[in-house]
Amino acid sequence: MARIGVFVCHCGENISATVECDKVAQAAAGFPGVVHSIDYKYMCSDPGQNMIREAIREKNLTGVVVASCSPRMHEPTFRQACSEAGLNPFLCEMANLREHCSWVHEKGEATTKKAIDLVRMMVEKVKRNQPLYPIRVPVTKTALVVGGGIAGIQAALDIANGGNKVIMVEREPSIGGHMSQLSETFPTLDCSQCILTPRMVEVAQHPNITLYTYAELIGLDGFIGNFKAKIRKKAKSVDEKICTGCALCTTKCPQKKIPSEFNEGLGKRTAIYVPFPQAVPNKPVIDKDHCTYYKTGKCKICEKVCPAQAIRFDQPDEIVEVAVGAVVIATGFTIHQTGFFPEYGYGRYPDVLTGLQFERLASASGPTLGEIRRPSDGKIPETIVFISCAGSRDPAKGIEYCSKICCMYIAKHAMLYQHKVHHGKSYVFYMDIRAGGKMYEEFVRRAITEDQVNYVRGRVSKIYERDGKLIVKGVDTLMGAEAVEIEADMVVLATAGIANPGAEELAQTLHVSYDGHHFFSEAHPKLRPVETNTAGIFLAGACQALKDIPESVAQASGAAGKVNILFSKSELTREPLIAVVNRSAPPEYSTCVGCFLCQPACPYQAIEKEEIKDRSGKVIKTVARVNPGLCQGCGTCVAFCRSKSIDIQGYTHEQVLAEVMAVLEND
Amino acid sequence: MNEYQTIAAGLLSSGTAAMVIGYSEGSAKRVRPVFFTRPEEASTLVFDSRCVQNIAVYLTKKEIRTEGKIAIIASLPVMRSIIQLASEHQLSEEKIIVIGITPSGEVKQFNGFDALDAYVSSTTIEIEARYREKIEQVEKMTLTERWNFWKNELSACFKCYACRAACPMCYCTRCTVEMNQPQWIPVPSHTLGNFEWHIMRAMHLAGRCVDCNACAEACPLGIPFNLLTKQMILQFKKDFGGYNPSLKGLNILSSYLPDDKENFIQ
Repeated sequence: MARIGVFVCHCGENISATVECDKVAQAAAGFPGVVHSIDYKYMCSDPGQNMIREAIREKNLTGVVVASCSPRMHEPTFRQACSEAGLNPFLCEMANLREHCSWVHEKGEATTKKAIDLVRMMVEKVKRNQPLYPIRVPVTKTALVVGGGIAGIQAALDIANGGNKVIMVEREPSIGGHMSQLSETFPTLDCSQCILTPRMVEVAQHPNITLYTYAELIGLDGFIGNFKAKIRKKAKSVDEKICTGCALCTTKCPQKKIPSEFNEGLGKRTAIYVPFPQAVPNKPVIDKDHCTYYKTGKCKICEKVCPAQAIRFDQPDEIVEVAVGAVVIATGFTIHQTGFFPEYGYGRYPDVLTGLQFERLASASGPTLGEIRRPSDGKIPETIVFISCAGSRDPAKGIEYCSKICCMYIAKHAMLYQHKVHHGKSYVFYMDIRAGGKMYEEFVRRAITEDQVNYVRGRVSKIYERDGKLIVKGVDTLMGAEAVEIEADMVVLATAGIANPGAEELAQTLHVSYDGHHFFSEAHPKLRPVETNTAGIFLAGACQALKDIPESVAQASGAAGKVNILFSKSELTREPLIAVVNRSAPPEYSTCVGCFLCQPACPYQAIEKEEIKDRSGKVIKTVARVNPGLCQGCGTCVAFCRSKSIDIQGYTHEQVLAEVMAVLEND
Repeated sequence: MNEYQTIAAGLLSSGTAAMVIGYSEGSAKRVRPVFFTRPEEASTLVFDSRCVQNIAVYLTKKEIRTEGKIAIIASLPVMRSIIQLASEHQLSEEKIIVIGITPSGEVKQFNGFDALDAYVSSTTIEIEARYREKIEQVEKMTLTERWNFWKNELSACFKCYACRAACPMCYCTRCTVEMNQPQWIPVPSHTLGNFEWHIMRAMHLAGRCVDCNACAEACPLGIPFNLLTKQMILQFKKDFGGYNPSLKGLNILSSYLPDDKENFIQ
């Protein structure tokens, strides 16, 4: 028989001001199965908790109902108290008399009656509670970091410095990402590579980090603490262990006219190449799509000149499977190319550049060694126009969001230009200047006041070429919407930042959700910004939404912190409020008929197939099984199961129906 | 012997199939399902417009599962049922040979589910005009009128569960209606309980019903509860472009596609 104790809390006057707590306790004493019922001013206080503990011991309670505040507030407190008195903590339930009753109703009989109903519901529920035990899941203390840009690098270093192993996967031949392409960084104008490359080297040398460059994540199975990742290491055609990185091969390769990705097409590279001099690892790879040998079967010059004999034309792609406990996605972003804009010449004009191309021109390691010169004729531009919001904040083009970083880098670009070309004239066409950030507004002001950058508030409708000049037709909305025409030598478009191609497929591989623009979705926009909805998978950097470097680094450290918290114990403990598929006596074994329609309904991929076998190993029946590591207890499968074979522990069909009937049958 | 009889006899005499399920002449000019294992019995097989019972219902029965390889005479609804059951992991390919008879009378033998799936996918489930008209009529009613319409129809039901027995999709070993901890559906056949039963049955067929009408044919009282499942099929067509039983596709109600309309949230 059930022996239930009811403990009604006044919560100071929070509850007792409108609910007659003594009457609630008296009424509860009369409920079938209730053997102890009292009210007290502060149940959560030490004496209050003692009352619960003593009642459990003295009256041998089999269940406890605390009628007080929201379980969000004090469920852990009261469950702990029960546990200390030897009662399974999941035999303790709370009736929310504060948020659900006293705070929302006037004082009166009906309010007290509602409070009594709420208690009755929980009494009926707790009678049907079963003792539950926390789920323990082992943790593999290795993290997988996907993407080796600044976010991935920061996350990897923080996790590794926390004493845990890291596997970093980077798609390109070198880590570094977009930050390695930048010239200077706002708002301090310190050299991007100078602050980045030491970190890249640290990643390569860190004893806790395994680096796979020129590699892709092709599969991820498992669940928090216990993922299995499948990585495809693309063949570099170079034996990394032997290669000394002397780069002699790259000087002799006959294919010299391949547009360099690192230089955004403004420079050329060879087919066997190191993307940039500071690359990590600083060893070449052969680009099979452009290599003469792979295309025609003849050449092998690199093999002949290699002093270490490290070239391996027959090297196959390698599939590596690794066990990891957590994943940090840091795959970054890309930008629209100039070809996206019909009004700005569809990419036909060589002197209309993207912001990233301008970075390469301004960079000391770039194709012009930092001199700003026109790609068309190599002349130094006398007049330069920067256009912000190229594609961003433009629902007509399908990108309604603000790309966030452009206002700042445009100010930086204009500044860098003025610093390098003292007599030059620079114009910035803008919609608004969004410079929210530490020292950001000051930075933009500096560009306007100290460096004489002309900011024109208005849009540019058209760019066309005339006599070697780019004619920029726009409007100045602060000068009475006056038409403006500028003869420019160079135009830089702050093109919209967009999700990487392949982001959608990656999200599907990792089973994380993503938004309409294919940026990965965080679990909560404010309170869980680095987690995804899939436990154990975290986000860092611009793959979640466009971010500048400081924000990316901050989020990466946040993600790393989350990973290190996860890895701080060898076992994960989770609340057992998860779905379970029932079991029954043979010959049925379970009422589950194994239709597996619940499988696609589960947002967490928690439903597996389980074969029930006889002693000889013959499969008698295949039923669904909920993986306790993956299940988040959302209950979608429960609603979907026709035969009602799945229940959420702690919220079973029986318990919930008992609660409902407790209200209905008393009206 | 005609084509399907010859095929059935051949499958049995060669030992390819252990049993054939089909239809034969019954009493009072009605057909009845027949299960036979000897080739000479194949000549008793009939197939005509009277064969409306969905014999796919037998394929999930324990007694049939243990018989070895089964050949089944299958009308289009039966073929659809087989694919739907296969997509729900209830049938195994190695144990079933389908002797399909298309609506135009063509006999097609399917040895694997892939070919059957391809054939079924090439057809579409169409709701007959007379049912569409009736559904439109019901949808035009006010809420009170509609309630009264269904109260009138469903009050007759005495819960014989013939509809459930006739449906190939009702293969659960423990039906919700038989659960008593807690008791979801009241046992007595009062009007409210009848409502609960028929609404539940319809909802359990959402996205799975192949529109074979076997349930309505089986009802001794002629209650038109198949309007419910037919209405859902029309609704799916409107909202999600319809569905067809398929081994490749996802169940229409438990899967999400980015271009699904969400116009029910307003």
